[in-house]
Amino acid sequence: MFDAVIRRLSRALARQKILSSLKDWGTSFSLWPVHFTTACCGSEFAASFCPRYDAERYGFLPFVGTRQCNVLFIEGTVTKKMAEAAKIVYEQMPEPKFVFAMGACAIDGGIFWNSYNIVRPHEILPVDVYIPGCPPRPEAILKSLTMEQEKIRKKVTPHPEN
Amino acid sequence: MSEEQTLELLIGPQHPGSGHMRLVAEMDGDVILNFEPNIGYVHRAVEKIAETKTYVQIIPLVERTSLPDTANHNLGYVLALERLLGIDAPLRAQYLRILLAEINRIHSHLYGMGIHGNMIGSTTMLMWAFGDREPFIELAQRLTGARLSYSYIIPGGVRRDLPQDFRNDALKALSYMERRLKDYDRIFVHNPVTLARLKGVGVINRIDAARIGVVGPNLRASGIAYDVRKIEPYCIYPDLDFEVVVRDEGDAHARLLVRIGEIEQSISMIRQILGKIPDGSILADRYLDLVPSRTRFEKRSSVKFPALFSGLKPSKGEAVSRVEASRGELFHYLVSDGSTHPYRFRIVTPSFKNLIAFKHALLGQKLADIPAVYGSLDYFPPEADR
Repeated sequence: MFDAVIRRLSRALARQKILSSLKDWGTSFSLWPVHFTTACCGSEFAASFCPRYDAERYGFLPFVGTRQCNVLFIEGTVTKKMAEAAKIVYEQMPEPKFVFAMGACAIDGGIFWNSYNIVRPHEILPVDVYIPGCPPRPEAILKSLTMEQEKIRKKVTPHPEN
Repeated sequence: MSEEQTLELLIGPQHPGSGHMRLVAEMDGDVILNFEPNIGYVHRAVEKIAETKTYVQIIPLVERTSLPDTANHNLGYVLALERLLGIDAPLRAQYLRILLAEINRIHSHLYGMGIHGNMIGSTTMLMWAFGDREPFIELAQRLTGARLSYSYIIPGGVRRDLPQDFRNDALKALSYMERRLKDYDRIFVHNPVTLARLKGVGVINRIDAARIGVVGPNLRASGIAYDVRKIEPYCIYPDLDFEVVVRDEGDAHARLLVRIGEIEQSISMIRQILGKIPDGSILADRYLDLVPSRTRFEKRSSVKFPALFSGLKPSKGEAVSRVEASRGELFHYLVSDGSTHPYRFRIVTPSFKNLIAFKHALLGQKLADIPAVYGSLDYFPPEADR
C-alpha cells in the first residue's frame, strides 16, 4: 500500500518538467553501449573509443552487461542468426534505451542487400539514429552521438513514455 | 564422466570475451573438457553474392570479409583475377601494392594486439595499440583515400600514385613505431602479469599445428616456418629482404611475440620499398590506353576506371591465388564461364583455418584462459564466416 503510493508519487514527480529535463540531461551524458558486435563495422566502432577520437569525453562508455547499458549499437550487417541475439539483448536492457544503426548494411543491407542471410535492423528494433558509410568514419559516430544527445534533451525519441 | 558433474557454459555472442560468436565450453569445475565454437553469426554469403556481381564490383565485396585487413584480401582477389585475364601489373604498381599490404599488416597486428591486451585486462595496451594504429591508417588514407576499405588494387595496377610528401611521413611513422615497440615490451609484452597469463597457456605443439592446418602467425609460433611470402612469393617479395619470424613454444605468448616480430619485419620492408621504388606507370598499358585522357591522368596521378572495367570478360577457365594475409594464408579460387560475372568464387580465409585451433588449444585449460587464448589467436569472425 505504502509502496504503491510512493511509486505513483515518484512517477508523478518524474513527469514534472524540471525533474524530467534534469533526467534527460543526465541520460544524454550517460549513453552506455553494450558490448555486442554484429559485424565488421566493429573495428571502426572500437577506433572511435580509442585515443585519436575518444568518444568517452561525451559520456559514451562501452560496457559489458546488458542490464547496466542503455544503448544498443548495431555495427553493420545483422544476420538472421545474430538478429535473435540482438532482440534478446535489446529486451534485456532497462528503459530508456536507444538503438544506433551503424553502416550501410544496417540501413538497407548495403553491399549485401540481396544476401539470403541478412535482416534489416529496422524490421526488428526501433532505430533512433542511422549512421551512413561503409564503414562510417569515427567522426561520423561522434556526430551521431551528439545528435542523439540533442534528441534526448529535446525529447524527440521513439519512446514517448520517457 | 556423468552428465551431472559437467556444466555446459555458453559464452556470447553478447560477451566481451567472445566477439561475434558463441563459445560452448563443457566444464568440469574450472577445467575445460570440451570446447565448441559456434560460428555463423556473421555469415553474409559473400561467395554467393559474388556470382551476381561483375568482376570489379567484387573488389569491395571481398574487402568486407576482413575489415582490419582489407589490402591483403583485395590483393589476393586481384591476383586471381589477373591470372584469369592474363595481365601483369607494372613494377611500380607492384611496389605500391606491397607497400599498402605491409602498412595494413602493421595496423592489423596492432588491432589484434590491442584486443588481446583488453581481453586479459590490460586496457593500456588496447589504448596504446589503437592509438599507434592511427598513424598507419593515416598513411594508408593518404595513399588510397579511405581509412579501412581501400579498394586500391585493381586489375592491371593500382588506383593512385604515391603522394608527394608520403615518403617522409612514412619514415617518421616507422621510427615512431620502432620506439613504441620498446615501450610495449616494458608495459605489456614482458610484463609479469602478461607472462603469468600467457606463458604455457593454449599450447599447440608443432605436430598438432601441422595436422589441424593452422596458418599464419599462429602456425609460425608453433615452430613451423611456413609463410606464403617465402614459399610461393608473389609481386615483389622475392626482391625484399625479410625473415620469417618463428617461435618454438606454441603458446599464447609466443603468438604475441611472432606478431611483434612481424611488425618489425614489415617496418624494414616498408623502408626497403620506399628506398627502391622505381618510376613508371601505375596501370598496365593495356588499360592505360583506354583511360580518356592519358596526359591528364599522368598529371593527376590517379586512375579513373576505364569503362571497360565494368564489363571485364575473362576467358573461360579458373584461377587460384595464395597470399599471406596478416592472419595467415588466404586462398582465392575463381571460375569464369566467359561472362561478366564469375561462375563460382571461393575464399578460404585464414581465420576459418585457425578456428579449429580453439578446440585444441583450450582443452584442459582453465575457464579464465579462454579470453587469453581467444585474443592470442587473433580470430576475426566475419573473416571466418564470410
